[in-house]
Amino acid sequence: MSQDYSSRGSVSRIDASISVPVRTFIFSSLLWLLVASVLSLIVALKLQVPSFLGECPWFTYGRIETLQRNAFIYGWASNALFALNLWIMSSLARFELKSSWLPVLGGIVWNLTLTYGLIQVLLGQLNGFALLEMPKEVAPAMVVAFLFAALWPAVAFARRPTGNVFVSQWYIIGATFVFPVITVVAQLMLLWCPTLGVMQALVHSWFYQNLILLWLGGSALSAVYYFVAKESGRTISAYYLATVGFWTLFLFASWTGPATLLGGPIPVWLQSVGVVAALLMLVPTVITAVNIFGTLAPRNGIAQAWNNTTLRFVLVGAISFTLSALLNIVFSTRSLNALVRFTPFGQAQEHLAIYSFVSMVIFGAAYYILPRLTGSFWPSAKLVHLHFWSCAAGSLLFVVAGLTQGWAAHGRTDFAVSALPGLLAASLLLVGHFAFALNALGMLAADKAPSNRRSY
Amino acid sequence: MNDSHSSNNHSQRPSHEDSSDSRLVEAHSQLAKNKEEPSEGFSSLPIVIVFLFCGFGFWAGVYLTRNAGGFSANTFDLDAPRLVADSGPKVFEADLAKGEKLFIQQCAACHQANGLGVPGAFPPLAGSPWPLGNDERIIKIVLAGLAGEIEVKGAKYVGNMPNIGAGLNDAQVANIVSYVRSAWGNNAEAVTDVKVKDIRKAIGGRGQYSPKEILDAHPLETK
Ligand code: HEC
Repeated sequence: MSQDYSSRGSVSRIDASISVPVRTFIFSSLLWLLVASVLSLIVALKLQVPSFLGECPWFTYGRIETLQRNAFIYGWASNALFALNLWIMSSLARFELKSSWLPVLGGIVWNLTLTYGLIQVLLGQLNGFALLEMPKEVAPAMVVAFLFAALWPAVAFARRPTGNVFVSQWYIIGATFVFPVITVVAQLMLLWCPTLGVMQALVHSWFYQNLILLWLGGSALSAVYYFVAKESGRTISAYYLATVGFWTLFLFASWTGPATLLGGPIPVWLQSVGVVAALLMLVPTVITAVNIFGTLAPRNGIAQAWNNTTLRFVLVGAISFTLSALLNIVFSTRSLNALVRFTPFGQAQEHLAIYSFVSMVIFGAAYYILPRLTGSFWPSAKLVHLHFWSCAAGSLLFVVAGLTQGWAAHGRTDFAVSALPGLLAASLLLVGHFAFALNALGMLAADKAPSNRRSY
Repeated sequence: MNDSHSSNNHSQRPSHEDSSDSRLVEAHSQLAKNKEEPSEGFSSLPIVIVFLFCGFGFWAGVYLTRNAGGFSANTFDLDAPRLVADSGPKVFEADLAKGEKLFIQQCAACHQANGLGVPGAFPPLAGSPWPLGNDERIIKIVLAGLAGEIEVKGAKYVGNMPNIGAGLNDAQVANIVSYVRSAWGNNAEAVTDVKVKDIRKAIGGRGQYSPKEILDAHPLETK
């Protein structure tokens, strides 16, 4: 792909002002993405050949799997969402960041703490709570780092020049406030001054659902709304519903925790409240679907979206969001939940949410943001293709893998054979992620001194 | 995505036009204020959605009242209340003190407090084979009554006992019957409220038993 770099565009003032932190976040997220992808290949291999790397306690399944999940969510997704939230909010609120070293500092502390925490996990210092496995001294540092790294969208929002607000801004503000609150509360109640028995399970499920649905999901939804409106050049259809969608999502999602504990030793009324909240999630799900697909569907918009790199990724992400939300709703009903409880089906469902939805949206956003930030083009279109297709196929396979393993868990088929799609999926994703990273790193490297080339 | 560079409208000049974001925010704020979208064909949508949400709210309320276990912090299993009821036989303990009190109120007028009855009018319960042995016999008599000629301890009675038990609940009947079966030297097992309940259900709203009918079903074990 020959690219005429003389046609390189200029970088806007706003983009220039946030360029350094956004690059820091994206760069770190890329590294974590590669780490997490390699780890997830090891995890898949271990399911296939349990003795693989089995000699060394560092590489036991429990530690590697924990490492993978934490690296993926706190390393890849969170870093990337710091970048996205900052960039989208600054653009919408016309915000020029004065002291860009603050978020950079936050990002560095975040990543160093995460590295320290993950090394501890590798050494066997694990807590028993999913996504809170890292030693307890890590948490306060991460919360402080988060405030430095991620609070700028709130500042940008507060200083917006006009009173007008776009739905993406609500989602960013909501997500930004959810993370520190849930982390502080969960850390206090689970690790520092542990509550007793049943309360722990409740607090943890609340933390987990909020983290996945609101911090990751809310941030990604903001990007979905933004890029769909921006890249299609259309206004969001049935836009007046978007407010309702936002509030109902944030209201109900925090209550869905107990629905993940159905049949557990928690008071039955809490379980029922969880079920009700999970089913009421249909409201925000339907609204976002009406908003997004209603905007893209008329006048051949889907085909246009398909031909636009950013929108293609975002579209896959939005479809995955709707699908995963619907699955979650259906399988939160008591009778159906009993079928899939404790099976790899749950992993498939979660994969749909945090990979096929959140990560695909991040990729799409990166394809939009990076060129504007660096003023240069993506080095290779072939790699973009490779990235899309291997990630799309890989994430589809991952869902299939969850189903086959769930089936095997019922004793229908041989478990090792059932894990094969997972192995294939992990390899495909690794290929896709390398393609993406190569392209993105090439771009970041091609343009070393962003702030010198401002256009006014 | 045949060409990921130029298919993108903006990629000819990959800079971020400042004004387009302002327009985006502006246009959507207008939409939010007007709450009308004449160009789209979704005009009936708001009403449908409002109805849908109301339906949901209603369903949620019904579901919670049915499945919340009385909002008790100690109910951990939806099936718990039913399980407790099913295990009734183990839980119910006949209360003989209550049984005695009820006997004085309900039966003693005829059978006397000492259970010896009134010769020629009301048969004795003390030492009678009728209350002993199979407990279904006495439960049925108490629930539905007895009329006709019978013989108790060698004496004949032609009397008419009303359906006293119809006005009492299962536990009360069980307590009285258990008392009668254990007082004045009578020595038979206590009965449970579940047993009374089952028999009450089985016989339904019937009239008094005749001696033949009850003895055919449950012959006396001793004379
Ligand atoms: C209105 C008077 C009356 C009352 C009150 C009454 N009974 Fe009787 N009971 C009779 C008569 C009369 C007979 C004999 C029936 C017959 O001749 O067919 C009888 C018969 C019986 C018999 C079978 C015969 C025997 O002596 O063993 C039992 C058992 C009995 N009664 C129990 C009770 C119990 C228990 C109560 C209290 C719940 C009660 N009765 C209340 C009048 C009464």
